[in-house]
Amino acid sequence: MKEIEELFLPDNVRYAETHEWARDDDGNVTVGINDYAQDQLGDIVFVELPEVGATLDKGEEFGTLESVKAVSEIYMPVSGEITAINEALEEAPELVNQEPYNRGWIIEVKPDDPDEINTLMDNNEYIETLKGDE
Amino acid sequence: MNKKQIKKTLLHDWHLEHGANMAMFGGYEMPLWYPSGAKREHLAVLTGAGMFDTSHMAVIMVEGPGTLDLFQACFTKDLEACIGKGKTPLVPGRCAYGAFLDDLGHVRDDAIVSQIAPEMYMIVVNAGMGGQIARYLKDQAGGSDIEIHDLTDGVGKMDIQGPMSARILAKIIREPEAVFDRMVYFSFKGFFDDDSPLAGAVRLLDGTPVMLSRTGYTGEFGFEIFINPDNIERAWKMALEAGKNFELTVCGLAARDSLRAGAVLPLSHQDIGPWPFINNPWSFAIPFNNDRTGFTKKFIGDQALKGIEEPEHTYPFAGFDMRKVSPDDSTVVTDSDSAEIGVVLTCVTDMAIGRVEGKIYSVASPDKPDGFNPKGLSCGFIRVTKKLSGGDTVELKDGRRTIKVAIVDDIRPDRTARRAIKNML
Repeated sequence: MKEIEELFLPDNVRYAETHEWARDDDGNVTVGINDYAQDQLGDIVFVELPEVGATLDKGEEFGTLESVKAVSEIYMPVSGEITAINEALEEAPELVNQEPYNRGWIIEVKPDDPDEINTLMDNNEYIETLKGDE
Repeated sequence: MNKKQIKKTLLHDWHLEHGANMAMFGGYEMPLWYPSGAKREHLAVLTGAGMFDTSHMAVIMVEGPGTLDLFQACFTKDLEACIGKGKTPLVPGRCAYGAFLDDLGHVRDDAIVSQIAPEMYMIVVNAGMGGQIARYLKDQAGGSDIEIHDLTDGVGKMDIQGPMSARILAKIIREPEAVFDRMVYFSFKGFFDDDSPLAGAVRLLDGTPVMLSRTGYTGEFGFEIFINPDNIERAWKMALEAGKNFELTVCGLAARDSLRAGAVLPLSHQDIGPWPFINNPWSFAIPFNNDRTGFTKKFIGDQALKGIEEPEHTYPFAGFDMRKVSPDDSTVVTDSDSAEIGVVLTCVTDMAIGRVEGKIYSVASPDKPDGFNPKGLSCGFIRVTKKLSGGDTVELKDGRRTIKVAIVDDIRPDRTARRAIKNML
């Protein structure tokens, strides 16, 4: 298990309490799970993805990650419409473990409110919540 | 559980230094997986070898006049009729699997009994169960001269499992040819205590005596190694070094769980527990007579196993893809009429198997189709009130999803546990 200081928590994404990350990519928001979450879950063997076009509120479940350990829900970090899903995960779910912020992205969202992403935590604030969990 | 009660094995620091994801199991903080990941660990045991710290398991020594009678009364396996097709008695150097039941026929724990000498046995029970089973045996032994010693945390144990296991061990033990000669499944040689007359039979290259047992919990060819705890870290590192050329991968409890489920082996207190130990895939541990009308001996719990009015049945199942359900109080099994018929005991993914045209293959199957690259199948055990047959499908339903699975006689095909050792060197 990675120590907090070993986690890769880049500063160009925002963080949700439920361990998703969200990145503003020219108005759309790309979403995945962060390094802490993938390390905790272990090998991810299946990703259940939502339908493109679905509209969900912040905090709603949009899919599940199935690891060797458990099945875990993933939640919307912002409200909006799902505009793309990472179809590569159907064949290669391990990308979520290997490259959680790049090829392991999960969905892209057109946010209802472009500013909502700024209500999420930055990496330093997120690290504080992890320390609180210890 | 407060921190004072968390137990650690002697390899705990090694696990942490090597990035293990740790979790509590049986009162011990144990590695779930290492950075290589549980999937690679699981596959390594089928194609190369895996090494597991299993020092959390409890060892009990039982010896003295009357010990055989004690086991005959308390243990389900008939130790006077358990070796081979001829059902000959257990002898020194051989092991047997069975369970300790209560008067209701419910499982106290399961165990492997190894006969060290006439009237001298070593038993291995589950983590945290050493004290309880030792006390139970003492109660049953009453005023006899039987000596019972709970060696919990007094014996180190590491398992090397997988087709390359013997080749790795051959690099770290003295006289491997002699040690492996006629070493059949469920037999052992050597002992971990230098004071034992058996100790000379198996020694590591540095002279450390070990008990080497052709047993394990993966369904694959391999060994359990019992060793004085002072020596386990050295032996562990020796094996790792020797295993570098043989794909030896250190494995955690997650791989152990998925390997054993695919091999149709029960986890005590989960797949067997406080319900009658019968109508399950482990009837080989019950001393049925030839026509299964009764038992070959009397034992504690035997009456309760007879004539159960509303029997429950435990069956292995295999799913149709890797998706699993999470067994908890709300997880149910439904039949083809959507009637609730029972509960899910274990549901994991065996990541080495897949279905091709209805047949299950493993990555180790000699007849696997070209390009076979399985994503895994959910598998495990259900306990239901309805009698089912191989091929019947049922649905498992948790709070999140419903999956269809088929009742099977066996799960992961082409396992290696029983291979002749001469073909594995």
